[in-house]
Amino acid sequence: MELRVNASGTPDLSGAPSKMSTFDKNAVEESIRLKESSGGSVTIITVGRSDAKKTVKEALAMGGDRGYLVVVVAEPDPHDSLTTAYLLARAIERAGPFDLVLCAEGSSDIYAGQVGPMLSEWLALPFLGYVRKVEIKDRVIRCEQTLEESVRVLEAELPALVSVVSEINEPRYPTLLQIMQASKKPIEEVGSELLIDGRAPPRLVTTVGMTAHAMSRKRVIFEGSPEATSRKLVEALRSEGVLKR
Amino acid sequence: MPLFKPEHRQLLKMLHPAREEEVSDVLSGLAAFMEEKISPLSPKFDSLAEKITSARKSLLENGICLIPYPSRYGGLELPFSAYTLPGIISGKKLASFSLTEPASGSDAKAVRTKARRVGMEYVLNGTKMFITNAGEADLYFVLGATEKGPSSFIVEKSAPGLEFGEDLPKLGMRGSRTSELRLTDCRISAENLVGREGEGFEQVKTMLNSSRIVMGALCVGVAQVAYEKAVTYSKERRAFGGLISDFQLIREKIADMVTGISAARLLCLYASRLKEMGLEFSSEASQAKVFATETSVRVCDQAIQIFGGLGYTSEDVHRHWRDARLLTIGEGTSEVLRMLIASRELARSL
Repeated sequence: MELRVNASGTPDLSGAPSKMSTFDKNAVEESIRLKESSGGSVTIITVGRSDAKKTVKEALAMGGDRGYLVVVVAEPDPHDSLTTAYLLARAIERAGPFDLVLCAEGSSDIYAGQVGPMLSEWLALPFLGYVRKVEIKDRVIRCEQTLEESVRVLEAELPALVSVVSEINEPRYPTLLQIMQASKKPIEEVGSELLIDGRAPPRLVTTVGMTAHAMSRKRVIFEGSPEATSRKLVEALRSEGVLKR
Repeated sequence: MPLFKPEHRQLLKMLHPAREEEVSDVLSGLAAFMEEKISPLSPKFDSLAEKITSARKSLLENGICLIPYPSRYGGLELPFSAYTLPGIISGKKLASFSLTEPASGSDAKAVRTKARRVGMEYVLNGTKMFITNAGEADLYFVLGATEKGPSSFIVEKSAPGLEFGEDLPKLGMRGSRTSELRLTDCRISAENLVGREGEGFEQVKTMLNSSRIVMGALCVGVAQVAYEKAVTYSKERRAFGGLISDFQLIREKIADMVTGISAARLLCLYASRLKEMGLEFSSEASQAKVFATETSVRVCDQAIQIFGGLGYTSEDVHRHWRDARLLTIGEGTSEVLRMLIASRELARSL
């Protein structure tokens, strides 16, 4: 299905089924690889409406051991990363002891890239962001962080929080057998009201509107001989700043 | 285009209310895999730019063949059809069905390949024709005649005396290799006899009965893709100042195409449900195959018509028609199936 834009310029998401963010798949994949190489177990945690259970099941089919879904009645404001991070932090605490939290560098839709860093603050964990490679040895995590033109190597003691970039791995497709087995894995659902418990973070961002970028064409037509029109075209492109003098 | 649609989920609710969620999960997972890993390659298989081998392997490893089989063979035990070896259903081995001969196709009883028992072995001699996966498969299910009549054998690719012909150029279905298979004093262990001597014809009938439903379902898929492409195009293509989807004659085609596809889909599901329930289904399986395959050819033909010149020249439109065209011939021609349907229906007491 495709995304459409309504006449008013707002995106129409009705034809687009919701699915796991592609970068989140990278985070799930990396957690399963770490489990395969170093042992341990993987808990899948997400915040969403009850239909997000489908996404949790998909991650369980990939190899997660148990799922945890924070059910919200209405989707949090997509730009309100603080609330999302807060709910995730409370859910992580509730889910029990852990060594490592893996998340995506950002979501595929909004791509604000804020949940990871905020989550690390709520949980008081060292944050290792934009990571393309992870190694763990003797409770020390060593990561390669992708920067614009260089790679930085970071180390931290566990527990820690890592956000991954897409180049870290290629997420696996669960086999049909794994998909069937996933339906037997436990998924705990918890209402967001239980986690907020009167301590909700301040709402700092409210989305006022979302509209598609409207592109208008100038529709300029040059007439005359090829030589003359090409000169006019070059001149016009220069005056628009497309071509440099 | 998503392969697993809300209407499929509705159908599952109707057919398997108790296991709807489980079956939906498996099918939507399979659909996601197909959309991402297989569908983008299918035009390349058609143009011979890419070999199907690794895509087929990944599809088998994903577990597509496990769906109907019991868990004691490593299967998923989902409600659909059944029988075979763990090696085949897990995708570790590719199998091939070798029935047709240069002088006998539909008339399977006229098999000329001979099988002679010599000590603890059988010696096979004969030629098979139009064999799918010949030369690529690891195992060949071969029908040959013994003194007791048509009998089935499993011949391994490595068997001495087994040879394959050239890959035959085909109108469609170009992802698969199709060729001749020659057995010259081909020796196989007597253990590779399937069941008992003389049971071959009945075994083949049983297999074809089930595979006809699969052929029908395959056609529903081919028709659906061609139909969706044509509908999308009709909503973009303008003529005489309007979209062609607003013209009555195009609308008539669209209505007929989708009605045919829906009917074919339901007929296939009906036949498979009868089979699942352990009821007699051979007439319905044949009906499903005749109807779905012929519908598919017609729908794909109409899709070309809606696309006009672009349909005739664009491989990604006409390949569906070329693929569908095999299916009124392979695994029971429309003519033979009509004979079967009529004789079964005439034998029924009204």
